Amino acid sequence: MSDEILMEVRRDYVLAKIREGERIDGRRFDEIRPIEIKTGLIKKAEGSAYVKLGNTQVVAGVKMQIGEPFPDTPDQGIIITNAELVPLASPTFEPGPPDENAIELARVVDRGIRHSEAVDLKKLCVEEGSKVWMIFIDIWALDDDGNLMDASALAAISALLNTTVPAERFEVGDDFPLPVRNLPIAITSLVYEDKILVDPCRDELSVGKNTITITTDQDDNIVSIQKSGPFLLREDVFDELLDVSIKKAKEVRRLLAEI
Amino acid sequence: MEVSRKIVLPGDLLSTNPKTAGPNTYVEGNRVYARVLGLLDKTETTVRVIPLKGRYVPSVGDTVIGIVKEVTANGWIVDILSPYVAFLPILENPNMRPNKKPNEVLDIGDAIIAKVMNIDPKMRVTLTMKDKLCRPIRVGRIVVINPTRVPRVIGKKGSMIKLLKSELDVQIIVGQNGLIWINGDRRKVSIAEEAIYIIEQEAHTEGLTDRIAEFVKKRKIEMGLAKPEEVKGEREGKIENQGGEVVPEIPEERLKGDGNGGDKADS
Amino acid sequence: MEEIKLIVDGKRLDGRAFDELRPIKIEAGVLNRADGSCYLEMGGNKVVAAVYGPREVHPKHLEDPSKAIIRYRYSMAPFSVEERKRPGPDRRSIEISKVSREALEPVIMKELFPRSAIDIFVEVLQADAGSRTACLNAASVALIDAGIPMRGMVTSVAVAKVEGILVLDPMKEEDNYGEADIPFAFLIRNGKIESITLLQMDGRVTKEELKTALEMAKRGAMQIYQLQREAILKKYIKEEEVME
Repeated sequence: MSDEILMEVRRDYVLAKIREGERIDGRRFDEIRPIEIKTGLIKKAEGSAYVKLGNTQVVAGVKMQIGEPFPDTPDQGIIITNAELVPLASPTFEPGPPDENAIELARVVDRGIRHSEAVDLKKLCVEEGSKVWMIFIDIWALDDDGNLMDASALAAISALLNTTVPAERFEVGDDFPLPVRNLPIAITSLVYEDKILVDPCRDELSVGKNTITITTDQDDNIVSIQKSGPFLLREDVFDELLDVSIKKAKEVRRLLAEI
Repeated sequence: MEVSRKIVLPGDLLSTNPKTAGPNTYVEGNRVYARVLGLLDKTETTVRVIPLKGRYVPSVGDTVIGIVKEVTANGWIVDILSPYVAFLPILENPNMRPNKKPNEVLDIGDAIIAKVMNIDPKMRVTLTMKDKLCRPIRVGRIVVINPTRVPRVIGKKGSMIKLLKSELDVQIIVGQNGLIWINGDRRKVSIAEEAIYIIEQEAHTEGLTDRIAEFVKKRKIEMGLAKPEEVKGEREGKIENQGGEVVPEIPEERLKGDGNGGDKADS
Repeated sequence: MEEIKLIVDGKRLDGRAFDELRPIKIEAGVLNRADGSCYLEMGGNKVVAAVYGPREVHPKHLEDPSKAIIRYRYSMAPFSVEERKRPGPDRRSIEISKVSREALEPVIMKELFPRSAIDIFVEVLQADAGSRTACLNAASVALIDAGIPMRGMVTSVAVAKVEGILVLDPMKEEDNYGEADIPFAFLIRNGKIESITLLQMDGRVTKEELKTALEMAKRGAMQIYQLQREAILKKYIKEEEVME
């Protein structure tokens, strides 16, 4: 509750700044907060990554095991993405099964990875029709200072890049790096009237949690879009969002190439 | 039969003069749009939409009929068939006596006629029974209709309700929330109830008052309450006797008319 | 995976043109208890929407002192799909419910009803591709039928990319084997598309394809909008005929 009151107080300040064409932390409207990526910090996991986006912090872990393929894709591995907004990350998160926000987060991250075909799932077939590799991506929010979406998507792809398939443990051959062949990047923007604030921080979201997440692949194809929040989106704003998302994703992808 | 007025849907453009914006419209960019499904009522000075559907939203001065839901030490919580329950404080019920407990005056399930005294910005509704019209309902029948049809049951300047009262010699008090109390001869109450349901069903059509008059006459004859030639004279005589008019927009006048009727039946 | 040809001789499997909608049937006010309701068929989708409210909020702590809360529940009947679906909300339904609610919220004048709830329930009785769009179309009609104050109509339709071609209102095969699915919903006011109110994308398209898809969806939505209007008006004109 007290958290909501604080948001109210911040709101006027954020709005006043936006009207002056500024953001509260001095960023340009299309500027992403500093990004820090660390991989392989969880030794028990097949792959892991910690992402800090401004003050938002997320850990993603990848665990793998052998399971049965889906009947319609008997020769392909399986990806299962889950996100938990654990109560330590925000006073507004509550314990319990994932709520609609956590589910949306996981599903949007999942769609980006899936539709960019980031992982070559055909290389994860052990025995067609009966044994394939299952990739479990678990996203754990640690600190929600806004835009958990982009931090989570980045943590997920970073963790995949860091993943070694544990074939020896399952006695199906030698370990090998997970075949990652595309780098989907999610860019979330806050839409306020006709203004676009890329990578909104928590205080900025006090003006309304009205965001659009556009995920693009390394060939600038759009692989996922999610309008989130009760607002009306103007077509001209949408056009602008597409351009800015493609442009910003390139910047972030460059960082990813360095890890 | 023709629909008396054009039916409009939310978002339909009604006028380009924002000064004419009336009830159930909204203005954006100097344009007046409908905000609910309803009948368009457009004059030179105002444009409004008469809703065809929707729940009752209380407004100060409304007469409502409600059912006591809960008794507290300070008063009664009353269901008025709206998104908001209403509160009737002890001090606003003239039947309250110092030696009585609230539940001895009104108990759960009791029906009352009350007036909306106050509504705060958070839509907390306070009722009063300090009005001649207000009373606990112990006799008669309560009819429930869609609240958007209430204006038609009352009629233009109370014409419809006057017709029913005089033709049938029954007491009728119409709650703005769609609950209507009818009291009098059992058979006549039944005819009034049937007539009200017809009004509810056909509220958006023209010539309704005439058709209801016909219907009431027909039913009276069928039930042996009148002979064909007697009907007309009785009706005219009664109308003259009615002092007050029932006008939905002016609660004071409705109060007077209904109050007179009430006194007659109670005696 | 066996290859399925989705476009044969420039036509879709069901014979439709690329920009052609599936058959749609809409009926307003089909339920007695609900304040507003709608039955809608869109291709093989058969859905029923009900609106209750504005009414008291339960549980009480969810009340908002300044406006009505909007709740939207998208639900699939176990018998609505080939293989029996376990009843109750799954992750997909929860997400659809969220984005659908957010598509309607900015159109409903919720500030008129502080401390109340407007509940929208949509049941998919038979599922085909695009059930979320069918449900939104039905919900919008049910809201208007309930007399809820709104800024306009919400109309929803999807566009898919199939074998490199954009197609309007995809059917099951196009949805399953296509390269992209893009559900849209729009606020339509006085016969004009005002803004986008739902937008999701699942697949892979270029920026240019996305813009073409938007134009295609807008044209399709205008046709559905007319049918939504007719369904509501028909209810009142029918009553009048019955009376005569």
